[in-house]
Amino acid sequence: MNAGLRISHVGLRGVVGSGLTATHVMDFSAAFGTFLEPGRAVVLGRDTRASGNMIREGVVASLLACGHDVIDLGVASTPVVQHAIHRMGAGGGIAISASHNTIDWNALRFFGPGGIYLNTAEAGELLDIYHLRRFAFQEWNKLGSLRVLDSALDDYLDDLARVYDLAALQGLRVVVDCCNGTSALILRRMNERFGCGFVLINERVDGRTVAHTPNTSAGIVELQLGPLMKPLAADAGFLFDLDSDRVALADETGRGVSEELILPMLADYLLPRSEGKLVIANLSSTALLEDVTAQHGGRVLRVPVGRQAAIDAISTYRPEQIALAGEGTGAVMMPQFRFVYDGIASMLAILTMMREKGQSLSAILASYPRYCILKAEVPLHSTNIPALLLQIQSEFPDGRLDRTDGLRVSWPNRWFHIRVSQTEPVIRVIVEQQGQEPRDLFEKLLDKVRSFH
Amino acid sequence: MPREHLLKVGVSGVRGVIGDFLTPALSASFAQAFGTYVGKGRVVVGRDTRTSGPMLTHAVQCGLLAAGCEVIDLGVIPTPTIQMYIAHTRARGGIALTASHNPPEYNALKLFNAEGLFFNHYERSELLDLFHQSQFVQAPNDEIRTVRQDLKTAPALHLARVLSRIDAEAIRRRKFHVALDGVNGAGSRLSVHFLENVLKTRLDAISVDPAKIFPRIAEPRPDTLTELADLVRRTGADIGFGQDPDGDRLAVCDETGAVLDNDDVLALAVSRALPQTPGDVVVNLTTSLVIDDVAAAHGRRVWRTPVGEANVVEMMQAVKAAIGGEGSSGGIIYPAVHLCRDSYTAMALLLDLMAETGKSVTQLVSALPRYTRLSGKVAFEHGRLGTLMQSLEESFPDAETDRTDGLKLLWPGRWLHVRSSNTEPLLRLAVEAKTESAAKELFRSAWERLTA
Repeated sequence: MNAGLRISHVGLRGVVGSGLTATHVMDFSAAFGTFLEPGRAVVLGRDTRASGNMIREGVVASLLACGHDVIDLGVASTPVVQHAIHRMGAGGGIAISASHNTIDWNALRFFGPGGIYLNTAEAGELLDIYHLRRFAFQEWNKLGSLRVLDSALDDYLDDLARVYDLAALQGLRVVVDCCNGTSALILRRMNERFGCGFVLINERVDGRTVAHTPNTSAGIVELQLGPLMKPLAADAGFLFDLDSDRVALADETGRGVSEELILPMLADYLLPRSEGKLVIANLSSTALLEDVTAQHGGRVLRVPVGRQAAIDAISTYRPEQIALAGEGTGAVMMPQFRFVYDGIASMLAILTMMREKGQSLSAILASYPRYCILKAEVPLHSTNIPALLLQIQSEFPDGRLDRTDGLRVSWPNRWFHIRVSQTEPVIRVIVEQQGQEPRDLFEKLLDKVRSFH
Repeated sequence: MPREHLLKVGVSGVRGVIGDFLTPALSASFAQAFGTYVGKGRVVVGRDTRTSGPMLTHAVQCGLLAAGCEVIDLGVIPTPTIQMYIAHTRARGGIALTASHNPPEYNALKLFNAEGLFFNHYERSELLDLFHQSQFVQAPNDEIRTVRQDLKTAPALHLARVLSRIDAEAIRRRKFHVALDGVNGAGSRLSVHFLENVLKTRLDAISVDPAKIFPRIAEPRPDTLTELADLVRRTGADIGFGQDPDGDRLAVCDETGAVLDNDDVLALAVSRALPQTPGDVVVNLTTSLVIDDVAAAHGRRVWRTPVGEANVVEMMQAVKAAIGGEGSSGGIIYPAVHLCRDSYTAMALLLDLMAETGKSVTQLVSALPRYTRLSGKVAFEHGRLGTLMQSLEESFPDAETDRTDGLKLLWPGRWLHVRSSNTEPLLRLAVEAKTESAAKELFRSAWERLTA
């Protein structure tokens, strides 16, 4: 049952109007205002959704009422918000964005000092305050004040330019589908300041309509940019979600690159340049990552699916031990940007890699061992899940078992993962194999899962 | 033990103390109920200079946007200015964030309809029901509009409307010397501009910095305007004006530094307005008989309503009144400018009267019929109110009675009025008579019965 509202450790998310209302927004941001230590400012930004106008007003009101000064960046990507929190020494921040969800959704995402995601314990405390609804509203002469700041984008680009030579990217012809999101503002500004010459489509920002679902998948990027790559003689095509934390990729032939490949590619590029040799990824992402990482003398740590598990894992290591962390969805965090999921940073890393190698995108991808991954979703009754997982586990006694998030069984060259979605009442079945398509195993697992419905 | 009303949600809107009482979420919900009631379209928002103003503005804007309204934000601005702007721009309605003359820890939402007027009593209870039912319009993403700022249009519009009803040139020629206490309120800047640049008076102003907090008790009364009185005496001004934080009420100081009785200020405004405006006069039940005398001199009738600006305005609309107001609280409502309490209209009418007659404020006041008014407050226990009023009525069998707002007992040339406060468990007693001794006697006998 999903009425379009989810309140969880990841924050507040819902369909505006039917699920997510002004009251939710105000109570949740008042909870955050109560959760944060007093005395430091809170940074605020929103993606291009029209509902962000309404939510912004509610968030500002609740934070001011709790006595916090608010620095509003206006329409800004989630990574820009996170960078600004760090740079300004703010006490925390809120990004108003439902990221890759459809335009009718919106969400509040909360960050602590330094712009980092709340860990599970902190997120739990925030939820408790929300449910208790006893907020630290201040008296009339102790309220916060609002400041609007429009320089955050340039400061963010300065940060990126310290790591990547942006002007050097002029040599590559790059097409980007902004999906009418915040990447349009960022890339336009990069063209102005560094002469990057990115060709932008769907760059109009009106908040009511988007050209297509802002999902960063290989299928969508192929549909959108595939037909443009050859006519434009483009070297690479990118597609962003609305708050630019994820990216999808098309090669010069117009083929959509599996979102699974972005993390291994970046590992391949970053590991030799990084002191840290640890790569953090979830249980559902490609085993190619192990191959690439091993080549550079690194190690992969597999954690449960979801941002929260990755955040908790990162916080148990020193930053210099980690080369990168991410998901098979095209969301990647790098230590030089303080572990912020940032699609723009990923794009710059991939383009810099292409430039330094002097190779086409398809040539780089062809140099990796080939894996085939199959994914499916099956709706189910929650009641039957434990029995289902136990049954399947018993049928594969020879594989290596991981029960930290559903059931993952792996063999050399192949693995499967069966888990319950955190966002929908479905079971996800994922099977991957090197070389051949693992069709037989995939069908067998699906039959099993369906028999439990 | 009198209980404090730290939050009041009622047909007049929402009013309360900032902090745990008037919260942003409550304000947003009320605004969303308002947006649901007036419908999708433009809604105007403005505020006075209270420290909680920005916070509440954002809360209210959140609720309005959530109901699918487009918001026009006028920033810091007097309440009457908002009302005129709503009517002029044909907006769906508007919300003023101001607790008017209440202390700085309070704030409130004042609600206006598409004509920039208070909703009538029946409309207000509909809106309150809507709020309690929580059945708000919940606009989806593609119906959510924006907040647009318009800081320029409204003040100019307001002053133009005021100027169209007075002889501004005559005022300018007199080069009046004016003292002003703006209480650092929403009207601070506009009042200085109006008096100095528009009416070309020689202005000595205090407390006209909207960025600062209220330097005195916000309600302009004789005991709160001592600084203005000093200023008048020190500078030798012809007249002194004291505003409240949202620029709707006005108190006036004569050239000797004496703060006038607000009923007399209203009487002067009425005497200026009636010759040029058709219609009767509407005041509340505690307003002085001096208004009746002035109205009678112009052959007009006086209508009386329960206390409260909304009641006066509702009656003024019904009888198409020429002018009205609430004597004791310092409000002049002149529909030729707009059907709202407006300190700028009041200032303009008084200066106009001085310019036209060539008389000083003391001369003008001394020409008014003299009455003595006394008032006081009595704490009472719930449940005793009916008994108290009944015993009072039985004690004065010769009086004509009016029970539309508490109890008013009338005789020729004198009256007494008892009503319970809307905001505190107090009875307010007011009496008026031709002479001081008669007033004192009436007050004493009523007081004895109420406190027995």
